[in-house]
Amino acid sequence: MANRQSFKQRVIRDFLLNKYLYVMMIPVIAYYVIFHYAPMYGAVIAFKDYSPMKGILGSDWAGLKHFQDFFNSYYFERILKNTILISVYSLLFEFPMPILLALMINEVRNRTFKRLTQTITYMPYFISLVVICGIITDFTNADGLINRLFMLLGYDGQAMLQKPELFRPIYILSEIWQRIGWESIIYIAALMNIDQEQYEAARMDGANRFKQMIHITLPGIVPIIAIMLILRMGNLLNVGFEKIILLYNPITYETADVISSFVYRKGLLEFGWSYSSAVGLFNSVINLVLLITANYISRKVSKSSLW
Amino acid sequence: MKKVLRSSLIIVLLSTLLIACSSQGGTSNPSNNGNKDNTGGTNTSPQTEAGGEATTYPLKTDQKLTYWGEITPNLVGVKASHQDVPFFQDWQKKTGVQLQFIAPPSGQGREAMNVLLASGDLPDLFEFNFLGDFPGGPERAIKEGYILKLNDLIDQYAPNLKKFLQENPDIDKMVKTDSGSYYTFPFIRGDDYLKVFQGPIIRKDWLDELGLPVPETIDEWTETLRAFKEKKGASAPFSVVSKPRFFNDSGNGAFIGAFGVNRGFYQEDGQIKFGPAEPGFKEYLKLFREWYQEGLIDKNAATADLKAVDSNMASGATGSSVGNAGGGIGKWQALIEANDPKVVLVGAPYPVLNKGDTPKFGQRNQSYSSEGTVSISTALKNPEIAVRMLDYGYSEEGHMFFNFGTEGVSYNLENGYPKYTDLLMKNPDKLSPAQAIPLYARGSYNGPFVQDKRYAEQFFALQTQRDAVLTWQKTDAAKYNLPPITPTPEESSEYATIMNDINTLVDEMTLKIILGNDSPDQFESYVAKMKSLKLDRAIEIQAAALERYNNR
Repeated sequence: MANRQSFKQRVIRDFLLNKYLYVMMIPVIAYYVIFHYAPMYGAVIAFKDYSPMKGILGSDWAGLKHFQDFFNSYYFERILKNTILISVYSLLFEFPMPILLALMINEVRNRTFKRLTQTITYMPYFISLVVICGIITDFTNADGLINRLFMLLGYDGQAMLQKPELFRPIYILSEIWQRIGWESIIYIAALMNIDQEQYEAARMDGANRFKQMIHITLPGIVPIIAIMLILRMGNLLNVGFEKIILLYNPITYETADVISSFVYRKGLLEFGWSYSSAVGLFNSVINLVLLITANYISRKVSKSSLW
Repeated sequence: MKKVLRSSLIIVLLSTLLIACSSQGGTSNPSNNGNKDNTGGTNTSPQTEAGGEATTYPLKTDQKLTYWGEITPNLVGVKASHQDVPFFQDWQKKTGVQLQFIAPPSGQGREAMNVLLASGDLPDLFEFNFLGDFPGGPERAIKEGYILKLNDLIDQYAPNLKKFLQENPDIDKMVKTDSGSYYTFPFIRGDDYLKVFQGPIIRKDWLDELGLPVPETIDEWTETLRAFKEKKGASAPFSVVSKPRFFNDSGNGAFIGAFGVNRGFYQEDGQIKFGPAEPGFKEYLKLFREWYQEGLIDKNAATADLKAVDSNMASGATGSSVGNAGGGIGKWQALIEANDPKVVLVGAPYPVLNKGDTPKFGQRNQSYSSEGTVSISTALKNPEIAVRMLDYGYSEEGHMFFNFGTEGVSYNLENGYPKYTDLLMKNPDKLSPAQAIPLYARGSYNGPFVQDKRYAEQFFALQTQRDAVLTWQKTDAAKYNLPPITPTPEESSEYATIMNDINTLVDEMTLKIILGNDSPDQFESYVAKMKSLKLDRAIEIQAAALERYNNR
């Protein structure tokens, strides 16, 4: 009781001291309450047969029907597997790339070249996804650019997007190409903050540039890497459907069909709002669990965590 | 620094976690507040008491209606919105009812409708295919309270439509639901000639050069495609649009029909059958597999979209396809002529196995095929004006207006024959007739009216187009195709779930066997999988729906 009293007193005192700061916070808090917390009750339609004319509260309860439908779906295992694989592969192959790029850019001395590289690498990020996918489709055609290169080397051209085994590599390579520059920005910013004196000290001790990178630069950005990794874990099951549905076709379903594209085909085109919500909720719960786990591990191992 | 970064990351994280929820739940307003504008229109109709009597246009009303509808793809890039299209301006003038248009992005009508319905904030009028594109069909749309049941309203305020339906009981049967509800102002193809507009297309100039006849049988096709490849250097002798499904236009049974099946449900000997589960489908897969291996089909067959086919056609990589008389022959003829002035595209008959057979399947729409129809939403509290306005298209005056536009502007009467003017046929702004006609009339696509054959006679400007339609008409499709049937609202979601899974499987099977990833012997195991996905139940639902239809 005494504790709570003192907490209350502390709050009041703090409020009196910083009342304008508190006033300034009101819009932000209101934003979160109105746009993020209040709508959450809408997730309840996952347990109902939602009909807009009856409203969220008036719709009939369906219990766990939509969840069961999803788990019992013929394709459930395949889409879950594909979702996880695409996520894990991009974690393995795409996640480290911006770090490498940042490290490389950091080593470049020529400022003009440095700027130029940065600008060029993050340009693709601003191209619309539809355009990107159009480019990918054209390049991977049987007589597209990539195949012409292969043909020069004496291979036969083949439509790459018709090969189930090539879908994931194409997806992830293009992902790297598009995001590497943009995602490296945060690492480059972190690199700027490393104390220059450490490098001087290292040079005095006779460390070459490579050793400096291993022992000073990398440890310097580990906390950021850890946090980015945790955030990434929180999105593990969110493979965006836009790129998938723009690139896949029935022959690559076995490697390309993911939860979100399945929900798009089934939920959105079939007007199954409750069903899509159920899948969305399932996704969010798994993501939350992953996030908390990753955060916990990171806190134990590297002492850096989100909370 | 680290702390600031960390807290900002936390905020980013929280917001991303919650975005999913907010996009699901933000739509909680169930009240029907879509018709703020029409309160002023109450009881201002010219003849409230005289129900069933002819309406005089323009109506005297100040009621303003909101109208939701996709703009026809042919006008995309020509006009930005309905309001800019002369037809829609004139329609308001002639009927005296002001419309406020809401248009979803072209080609995304279904997604947009999904969001619109979920919002509960409905417009007054929907131009939407509730039979084909709304899961559960019109019965469910009425039951869930999106659209009005129109029976009484048509009786009272739509004399023209009522008269038409009374005179055409066959069409009347298609236009209502199993329980006898009217739900829409239908688009009706007023002549058999208008029901067929698609089929195989081939380059006659190449055939003549090689001394080959227009292929009729599958064997002749194989020979022809081979000759195209070897002697004409075509790298993709046969290419077709595969979006959204592989060989999309085979849905009507082109080529598949030679083996006695199509890609969906059909009726034969009083039974409902599902094409991809019948043995004939395996033969079709085998044929296409051979063609693909031999290089007779486009190598990018699985991903080719309309653009890809267009460019194959234009460059001479392709000598045959399946397409429409207008959007196929008409467009490609012009495209190829730019490179090769000698080109002649003609319609080939739907292929059969033995010479002289009549093709079992082919594209053939019903008189009523549910697109371009207009329904009235429950948001409209006083629908009389709307009903009278929509009835206009079935009046004599409206018939001319919808099909040909305005006399003196878009058509002139020559000996009683409405002839499109040069403004449409030889447009000064270099628009093709396909683009120019929809500016002034709806004859070339659809809408709430009865389509006139005389539109097609002029729209198909080339003799080859008119001949193609006659060639393609010669099928038995009318006998085997199903009429527009719907599952009951209760069965609809079960049916949708089953068919969604099965169609995914069919698409996968088709491509894997044709492109050589699976051997044709796997066909039986795919069929077994279809059965385990409850194909029999889907057939049962369809059979019951057909029975209900026949009992209408």
